[in-house]
Amino acid sequence: MEHVIIGNGIAGISAAEMIRRLDPAGAITLIGDETFQPYCRPMISMVLDGSIPHDRLPIRSADFYEEFKIKAVLGNRVSAIDIANKTVSLENEQTFPFDRLLIASGADPRPINADNLHLQNIFFMRTQQHVRGMLDALSNTRRALVLGGGLVGFKAAYGLLRRGLKVTMLISSGYPLSMQVDAKAGEMIQDELTSRGLQVQVEAHVVGFDGNERVERAYLSDGTEISCDIVVIGKGVLPAHSFVPRDSIKVDLGIIVDRHQQTTTENIYAAGDVAELVDISRKCRWVNAIWPEAVSQGRIAGMNMTGRKVAYKGSLSRNVMRIFGLDVMTAGIVNPAPNADYEIMTATDRRRRTYRKLVFLHDRLIGMTLVNCVEQGGILVALLQSETAVTIPKAKMLAPDFNYRQLIRW
Amino acid sequence: MKKVIVHPERCVGCMQCMAACAITHSKTRDLFSAVFETPLPKPRIHVGVGLFNEGFPNRCRHCDPAPCQLACLPGAILRDLEFDTVLIDPDKCINCASCAMACPFGVLRYHEHCFAPPGKVVAVKCDNCIERQMQGLIPACVEVCKVHALTFEEPAEALKRKTDEVARSVSAGVSQSDLTVGFTLLNTHKRKQIELGRD
Repeated sequence: MEHVIIGNGIAGISAAEMIRRLDPAGAITLIGDETFQPYCRPMISMVLDGSIPHDRLPIRSADFYEEFKIKAVLGNRVSAIDIANKTVSLENEQTFPFDRLLIASGADPRPINADNLHLQNIFFMRTQQHVRGMLDALSNTRRALVLGGGLVGFKAAYGLLRRGLKVTMLISSGYPLSMQVDAKAGEMIQDELTSRGLQVQVEAHVVGFDGNERVERAYLSDGTEISCDIVVIGKGVLPAHSFVPRDSIKVDLGIIVDRHQQTTTENIYAAGDVAELVDISRKCRWVNAIWPEAVSQGRIAGMNMTGRKVAYKGSLSRNVMRIFGLDVMTAGIVNPAPNADYEIMTATDRRRRTYRKLVFLHDRLIGMTLVNCVEQGGILVALLQSETAVTIPKAKMLAPDFNYRQLIRW
Repeated sequence: MKKVIVHPERCVGCMQCMAACAITHSKTRDLFSAVFETPLPKPRIHVGVGLFNEGFPNRCRHCDPAPCQLACLPGAILRDLEFDTVLIDPDKCINCASCAMACPFGVLRYHEHCFAPPGKVVAVKCDNCIERQMQGLIPACVEVCKVHALTFEEPAEALKRKTDEVARSVSAGVSQSDLTVGFTLLNTHKRKQIELGRD
């Protein structure tokens, strides 16, 4: 059996490992754009903030590909999939035949529209290469401008602050991480960051940059300008599926897959940041471009590609982050639309600086936000994923002494 | 292979397992000196209370596949095959709390400990007392538990005993229970106290 995997991110790697485990003799070809050995993408922000060195990024051994008998074709992007002839071709005209194909091509940073984007020291933050470039530029920069208050923008701002730069964060919405947390937690995060020197400017975006080779200032939509010598663009990511033939593989925001991670074409699967599948708490298709989802989906795709029909229940948005003295964990729907059916419960402890918010739909937990009390959060995530009916008094789940035992009744 | 098995219905909430665990995972392994250590040794088993104040010793289940291991960003969580134990490498751990988000039982804690690099906060959880087991000892929490709420035995045997218990309890005319009357009395008493206090 000829297995071809597009993408050497964690979804592709997890799938390859699973395929090798279940099909010791099958051929695996892994096509990757990045030539660096398999590494942990979320950790690049820790390289930026200086808490780990760059050489700690790899999460598989240097001889990973040999060990798993994987033919690695690195440094090239896929340009087309020929479904009739079952081949994948690269930008350099190479073609590879496949019996089973996995598209785990991940996502690319969302580009922005602004003048003079070619100037030096304007970065995206997606790959280890980007962070290397940023670190090289750090030595003679003092004022950073971070575009976007999402996870990437916020991690970039955090890293640059810890490197001692003056950082301004530009957010088009009202508060940082508005996609990940609710307004209250967003406020706590913003307070924490501003107390450490971050300047936040909301409801503004950049229209252009200016400088002599290197970026020197940014022009904003409100007519003002900000002087800066390094810029990080963190306006989210877009699934990388430009090479996918839309007539046979259905694509929405991401590539649509069924509960076996299979696309609308048989024997072609998708997993990770590029895949769009049902979201457990939202009850509709969603692209959850997060690390733990990529691991799970990659494993499920690998199982199904080797003929083991295993269903995946769906994806779940979730995130956990530590920001100076603040720990934040969120999962599911954190900002429910005004709807009488939702039951929202919150608990704030000013002295301990904790905040808990649970969102219920009837007897099911569908979302949660925890600030500075994340240790029991996994129990809530498991409840969200399993959609277990909550039969105990809901207020008990907000209490600081909530634990696993309280969910068991006998 | 023998495993630590939890019998929550027998737990009286004395928290001696927590103390024994903290002492075992200390530098000096002695109560009277451990309390003066920096960082202060902390337990990896956590006695929580149920809705009716019943005790519940919560510890790592060493799941396979382990959700924490799959979620771990730096690949710091590994399975020791000899002892079938999920272990955290404190040198690799980056304290990101991804494991806390993945653990359905809420057993992860984050703090310094004497086996981690000094001054580094890392994820900490039960290691099945692997060092004690290597010396032929049983896990410290089991050794100290006076009421057999924690036992160290073959899972198949424990499962068979439980199955038999359930079978006996549904058999007509047989009211024999392996749980001594004391536990039932204690748990009923706690439950009634809560129920009375509520009204």
